[in-house]
Amino acid sequence: MDAARLAEGMSEPRVQIPDTPLASDAAAVELRGIVRRFGRAGQRFTAVDGIDLRIQRGEIVALLGPNGAGKTTTIDMLLGLAEPDEGSALVFGAHPHRAVAAGRLAAVLQTGGLLSDLTVRETITVIADLYDARSRVAEVMERADLTEIARRRVGKCSGGEKQRVKFALALLPDPDVLVLDEPTAGMDVTARRRFWQAMRADADAGRTIVFATHYLEEAEQFARRTVVMTRGRIVADAATAHLRASLGGRLVSATLADEALATAFAAELVGDESAADVSVDASRLTVRTAASDALAARLLAAGASDLEITAPTLESAFTRLTEEPS
Amino acid sequence: MSTLVSPAMYRIEGLRQLRNPYTLAFTLAMPFAMYLLFGASMDYASQSVGHANASFYVMVSMGAYGTATAMSSLCSLAASEVGQGWGRQLALTPLSTAGYALTKVLSAMSFAALSVLIVYIAGYVTGAAADDVWRWFASAAITLVLGLVYGLFGLGVGLAFNSDSAAALASISITFFGFFGNVFVPLSGVMLDIAKWTPMYGYAALVRWPATGGALVAGGSDPLWAVVLNVLVWGVLFALLVRFGVVRSRRRR
Repeated sequence: MDAARLAEGMSEPRVQIPDTPLASDAAAVELRGIVRRFGRAGQRFTAVDGIDLRIQRGEIVALLGPNGAGKTTTIDMLLGLAEPDEGSALVFGAHPHRAVAAGRLAAVLQTGGLLSDLTVRETITVIADLYDARSRVAEVMERADLTEIARRRVGKCSGGEKQRVKFALALLPDPDVLVLDEPTAGMDVTARRRFWQAMRADADAGRTIVFATHYLEEAEQFARRTVVMTRGRIVADAATAHLRASLGGRLVSATLADEALATAFAAELVGDESAADVSVDASRLTVRTAASDALAARLLAAGASDLEITAPTLESAFTRLTEEPS
Repeated sequence: MSTLVSPAMYRIEGLRQLRNPYTLAFTLAMPFAMYLLFGASMDYASQSVGHANASFYVMVSMGAYGTATAMSSLCSLAASEVGQGWGRQLALTPLSTAGYALTKVLSAMSFAALSVLIVYIAGYVTGAAADDVWRWFASAAITLVLGLVYGLFGLGVGLAFNSDSAAALASISITFFGFFGNVFVPLSGVMLDIAKWTPMYGYAALVRWPATGGALVAGGSDPLWAVVLNVLVWGVLFALLVRFGVVRSRRRR
């Protein structure tokens, strides 16, 4: 309980959860209608507006959403760093503090600070000592690829290197649930790939992984389940493969010989499951489809010109999700 | 299973402060230099102040100054580190708030003790003398135990201002309190009347008590209840500052 008060500015938890021990049969993570508001009366801002989420052991879940969607606030409550104003957050059936203290829940925080005047090794040693995990320091540094910069001051590390230090800290207790908030921010492409390789190995070994990202690709490649958040609410929660079909299409547009031909194509596409948002403007056909290559080939074969294939931006995908009645 | 005191954190905290030029200058070098300046080298050094000589009087005063500086600057650093995000990292470990505070206070106390040790060794070597050996230890013990009050002050400043400049502000305030609190140069007249209300007056007077029995360099003496009251009142005020700092730092997030 004390640990979170440190972060909370020593405030008392707003919602009392019975101090039950960790349950072995409970879900890894369970969020029940959590709400979190910021600001004072008059200009209240609801960052998280009633989130229900149940994550089983061994699941890999991406929390996807644009900046300001409430991902970090949700994660703070999941970790017990902030108390929900309404609802409750449980990890293994108990308050997250318990799981943290037992070393079963760890996280790579987006906004967590490191002390810039400590070296990489000192930082890891200090935290390892708190977990009584000094024997894991060398292994964890190896896994986070920090051995070569062990003696570097944290203040002199790049953003990606700092991120790896935080990753190493999260691995120290060998947690059952690992929460990652924008874990690859500041990493270059190579580091990002190595990071996700390491994560995949962990997931295969049975660790539950919850990560927040605004990179659609990271969710696609890594998570088996994706939860999409916007404006503090969950707007989609499904298998990633399923979501990809609805989110991951391409916008194909081309100018056909005449309007009749364009309309004929459109009529045919309306019945096609992989296509959506078919529209015709004079002789120009525009359609969103998951089978963009095949459609492009057919359009070109039919003598179309000015062919354009664009990936919808993530923002537009989210806009679609929020506008669809759920 | 929460950790109360972390040996590794304590050890690394010591290392950090030893390579922090700021801490070294203000908590270790300055009291030492001020002792040599105002104590050992003056022609009044061997005059008696009651149960000890003037060198001893200046020595314990500088030990108190070093302690107040170490406690306030290190405790304010501890508070601002928590506010700047390291606290979030620590909140994800079994270390409790109490454990963090205890570890930090212990390391600040250790630095204060080091400061006292350096000044007392300098005093011993340059002729500071007291009637009895216990007066050395009594002064050192009063210095360190009551120094905790300045830990509260530092904590309050660190919480309220939450920045790297908080530690500098805390230690500069201590220097200011020291000058106006009769710690460095013996004050007299109106300045002394004002000094009695300032935060370091009671502390310095109690630290010197084994040497002076309350007698003042300017003549006359302080009643014990008055200097104890000074320490108590300022202790309460500093606790209120901590309370204010907690409220302010909570509002920031």
